[in-house]
Amino acid sequence: MSAPETGAPGAPPRRRFPEGTTAEDLKAYMGPFVERLGYKFNTDGEFVAMVLEGELEVLATTGDVYCPCRMRTGDPKEDVKIICPCIPFFRDEFAGMRKCWCGLFIRADVEDGAALMGVIAEPEGPIEVPVARVDDMRDGEARRVKVGKTALAVFRVDGEFFALSDVCRHAFAPLSEGWLDGHAVMCPWHGWRYDVRDGTTDHPDADVRTYPVTVRDGEVLVTV
Amino acid sequence: MRVKVFALSTCPYCRMSRQFLDENGVAYDVVEVDKLEDDDKQTAIAEVKSLSGGTSFPVIVVGDEVVVGYNKVRIKELLGL
Repeated sequence: MSAPETGAPGAPPRRRFPEGTTAEDLKAYMGPFVERLGYKFNTDGEFVAMVLEGELEVLATTGDVYCPCRMRTGDPKEDVKIICPCIPFFRDEFAGMRKCWCGLFIRADVEDGAALMGVIAEPEGPIEVPVARVDDMRDGEARRVKVGKTALAVFRVDGEFFALSDVCRHAFAPLSEGWLDGHAVMCPWHGWRYDVRDGTTDHPDADVRTYPVTVRDGEVLVTV
Repeated sequence: MRVKVFALSTCPYCRMSRQFLDENGVAYDVVEVDKLEDDDKQTAIAEVKSLSGGTSFPVIVVGDEVVVGYNKVRIKELLGL
C-alpha cells in the first residue's frame, strides 16, 4: 500500500506517522490529545506496550493506527471511528467503563488501571459520568447525553447545570430538544413544562427523574 | 466441548485469551482473521459478524455459546474451570 505522500515537491510528507515510528512516538502524539478528553495512558505499562506494539503492526500494513482488536470494514466513514484513540466516537460508552475499549486509556482520575482490565460491562451502582465541559455549553443550552441505556437532558441555566431524564412522561419526546424559559423546560411536542431543578411538572404523577450534577475542574459530571 | 477462537494477530486480548486457554490445557482451534487472504478472510469476517454481531475480537465459541472479548469469568463458567 502506498503512503499518502502527496503535495508540492519538497513539502513534508502528509503521513502522521512516518516509517520508523516507535511506541514512544505514538505515546507522545496521543498523550496530549487524550488528556484534553480527560483520559491518560493506562498505569499498567506492560499492557500499554503490548497494545502499542499491536498498533505499530497495524500501522505498518494499513498506514494508520487502527484498533488492533477490531476489523476495518473498508468504509472510510466507519473505519475512522476505530483509529486510535477512538474516545471521541465512544465517549458515552467509555465514560461508564472509565476506560476505552481495550484499556489503553483510562479516565484521568483512575489510579489503578490494571483493576479495570476485562471490565467490558458497566460497573454496578451509581457512577459519575462527565457529560460536558463547562465552557462547552452556554446559558439556555441543552444537550442530550446517553449513559448506557439512560438518556439524559443536561441544561445550563444562569451558569448552573441540571440533568434530568430526557424522556417526557407524556409522549416520550426528548426534553433536550425543548425550550428553556428560566428554570422551566417546555417539551417540544406538546408543551408540558418541567422544572429542570427538581423534575416536577404540574401534571399529576408525571415528574421526571433528576440526577445530581457536580462541576469539578471545569468538567460537568452527572451521577447516574 | 469444541472451542474455537477468532482472533486478530495484533490484538492483545486475543493473545491473553489464548494464553489463558493454553494455561488451562484447553484444546481449541484458532483463526487469525487478519492473516487470511481474500475469500477466506471475507468468509471468516462474515462468520464473526453472524456470531457476535460485530467485528471486535476475540470471538470465542464454546460449544453453542459465544463470548466476545477476553471475558475470563464467562469462559471459565462455560468450560467448567
